[in-house]
Amino acid sequence: MATDLKSIIPNANAAELELVARYAMRGEDPRRERAFSAFAASGLPHRRMEAWRWSDFRAALPALEAPEGAGAVDPFSALSGPLIEISASQYKLPSELPAGMRLIERADADVFAPAEKMPLGALTAALAGRKGAPASLVIEVTEPVAEPLRIVARSDRSEANIARITVLVRPGAHLDLIESHLGGAGFSSYLLDLTLQAGASATRTLYQIGAGDEAQAITANVEAAAEARFTQTALAFGAKIARIETRLTHQETGSHAVLNAAYLAAKGRHVDLTSHIRHGAEACTTRQLTKGAVLAGGRGIFQGKFMVPRKVGQRTDAAMQHHALLLEYGAEVFAKPELEIYADDVECAHGNTCGALDGDQLFYLRQRGIPETEAKALLTQAFVTEALESAPDLAAEILRAAAEAWLLGK
Amino acid sequence: MLNLNDLHASVGEGDEARPILKGLSLEVPAGEVHAIMGPNGAGKSTLSYVLTGREGYEVTSGTATLNGENILEMEPEARAAAGLFLSFQYPVEIPGVPVMTFVRTAMNAQRKLRGEEEISAPDFIKKAREVGGQLNLNAEMLKRPVNVGFSGGEKKRLEIFQMMMLEPRFAILDETDSGLDIDALKTVAAGVNALRAPDRGMLVITHYQRLLDHIKPDRVHVLSAGRIVKSGGPELALRLEEEGYDGVIGEAA
Repeated sequence: MATDLKSIIPNANAAELELVARYAMRGEDPRRERAFSAFAASGLPHRRMEAWRWSDFRAALPALEAPEGAGAVDPFSALSGPLIEISASQYKLPSELPAGMRLIERADADVFAPAEKMPLGALTAALAGRKGAPASLVIEVTEPVAEPLRIVARSDRSEANIARITVLVRPGAHLDLIESHLGGAGFSSYLLDLTLQAGASATRTLYQIGAGDEAQAITANVEAAAEARFTQTALAFGAKIARIETRLTHQETGSHAVLNAAYLAAKGRHVDLTSHIRHGAEACTTRQLTKGAVLAGGRGIFQGKFMVPRKVGQRTDAAMQHHALLLEYGAEVFAKPELEIYADDVECAHGNTCGALDGDQLFYLRQRGIPETEAKALLTQAFVTEALESAPDLAAEILRAAAEAWLLGK
Repeated sequence: MLNLNDLHASVGEGDEARPILKGLSLEVPAGEVHAIMGPNGAGKSTLSYVLTGREGYEVTSGTATLNGENILEMEPEARAAAGLFLSFQYPVEIPGVPVMTFVRTAMNAQRKLRGEEEISAPDFIKKAREVGGQLNLNAEMLKRPVNVGFSGGEKKRLEIFQMMMLEPRFAILDETDSGLDIDALKTVAAGVNALRAPDRGMLVITHYQRLLDHIKPDRVHVLSAGRIVKSGGPELALRLEEEGYDGVIGEAA
C-alpha cells in the first residue's frame, strides 16, 4: 500500500485501516477514488459530526471482526419472486427474472453523487464489488412488475458485507422491492441508488435486525422525477449500532413520497433512522411517520429533515411525525426533526412525542383479563404498527407478525 | 358472593395519600342487584377501582372477598378471571385495537387463566353478532378500534357488550347512565337485566335514581364520606330523589 493511502485517514483505528487496505486492493477507478476520498475526509463517522452525534460508528467499530453468530432468519422467505442474496460482499443473482425486469452487470463503478453528504454511502460505493466480480449491478424495470424483487443481505460470520445495488424504474413502470438486512457480519454496509423516472412508482420494504456485536449501515439515495410515487416502510430492530439513512430528492413536479418506519430496540441495541428529503420541485408531497418503542438499555434515534428551497419548492405539502414509547426506565430516544423552509407557499407539519404507555389504557385491558405483559404488547403493537401499514399487504402482514413476536418475547 | 368488611382505602402515594373509604362494609349475595348511591366525592368510583385493583388505590385495612376468595391480593387480570367486571364510568379509547380483537383476546385470556379452552373463531363471531344485535351495535362498529370515535352512548353500550360477552360472575356498573339518552338507557338496562341470574351479583353505582327505574335493585345503599350510612329497599332510592342526599344522610348521622 502506498504510504499516502495509509495516512489518508488521520488517527485511523484498526477498522479504518482495514477499510483502506480493502480499497487499495481495487483497481484504479476515478469514481471509486472520489467516493473513497469523500469517506476518508471523516473516516468512520463519529460523534463530533453533527449528523452522527448520536451514532458514533468509529467508536462502535474499533476493528473489523467476525461476529459470534450468523445472520438472522429472513421473515419474507415464503414470498415468491426473484431474489438477490448478498453474503460476505458476494452477490448471488437470480437465474431468471420476470418480464419487465432486467439485470445489468457493469465493469465500472457507478458514480455516487451525494458522496460528500453520506460518508458510509461513499465508503460502500468505493468498496462494493469484489475483484473479478461486476463492479456495479443495475436492475432496470421497464413495466409494472407484479412479483416483488427481494434482496437479502445475510452473512455467516464474516468480517464485512459490503454491497451496492442500483435500481432504475423507467417511466410508468412499477417495482416492489423487499430488503432483508439480517446481519451476520461485523460490519454490513449496503447502498441503494433508486431512480424513479416520470410516472414510475416503487415500494421499498425493509426489515433490519442485527446482533449486539454487529454494525450495520443501510444507505439509500432516491431520486423522483415528475409524478413519481415512492413508498418506503421499514421495521428495524437495531444492532450494536445500526443506521438506516435515506436521502430523497423530489426532482420534478408532482412526485409523492411516503417514508414510514417502526423501530423496536431491546437492551444493547442501537437503531438510527435518518432521512433527508429535498423538495427540489414544485407541488411535491412527502408523508413521514416514524414510530418506536424502546426497552431499558436500548436506544432509538430519529433524525428527519425536510429541505424546501425558495425558488423551486413552492406548493410543497409535507408532514413529519415521530412518536416513541419508552417502555421501561433506562430506555433512550433521541429525536431531531428539522424543517428548513425558504419557500413561502408551503404546507409543512411536524409532530414529535416521547412518553410511556398510558396507564388508563393498561388498566382497562387488565380489567378485562388481559395479563400485564400481553396488555403492554398489545398496546405497543397497536402503537408502532400504524407505521407499517404503508407496506404492500403481504409484506405488511409479515412485518406486523415480526413486531408482535418481538413484543411477546418470542 | 361479594363481601366487603370494614374496608379502608386511600388514593395517591406517600404524603399525597388521602383516605377515601373509611370503614365500608357491604354484602351482595348471589342473584341480587344492589345499588350504591351517594353525593359527589362520597367514594363511589374509588370503591369500583379498589375492587378491581387499579394502581394508586391502596387498601389500608379491611377485607374484600368474592365467593370467599380474597380479591385484594390479586392482580387486576386475576380478579377479572375470577369473574369481576367493571363497566367504566369513562371507557378508555384504545387506538389500533379493533373491538372484536380486544374482546376475543380478553375472553381467551380469562379462559386461559381459569384453565379453560379458548373459544373458537366461529363461536365467538356468532355470539358477538347476537349480543351486538341486542345492543344495536352493528358489525361495522365492532370492527372499529375500541371506543375511538364512539359517542358517549355508544361507549356505554360497548361496555355492556363486553359484559354480555364475558359473562362475569359479578359486575360493577359505575355511572353507566351518565351520557345516555332515554332510548340508550333502556337498551343498556335491557342488556343488564338479561344478565340477571341466580349465580350472578351486580353492584350498580349511580348518582341518580333514573337508572333504577329500569334496573330494579334488590337493595339500595347510601354511601357518604367513605361509608355506607343507610341501607334499604328500592323505596330508599325514591326517597333520595325526593328529599336529596342532605335529608337522608342528615337523618342517618
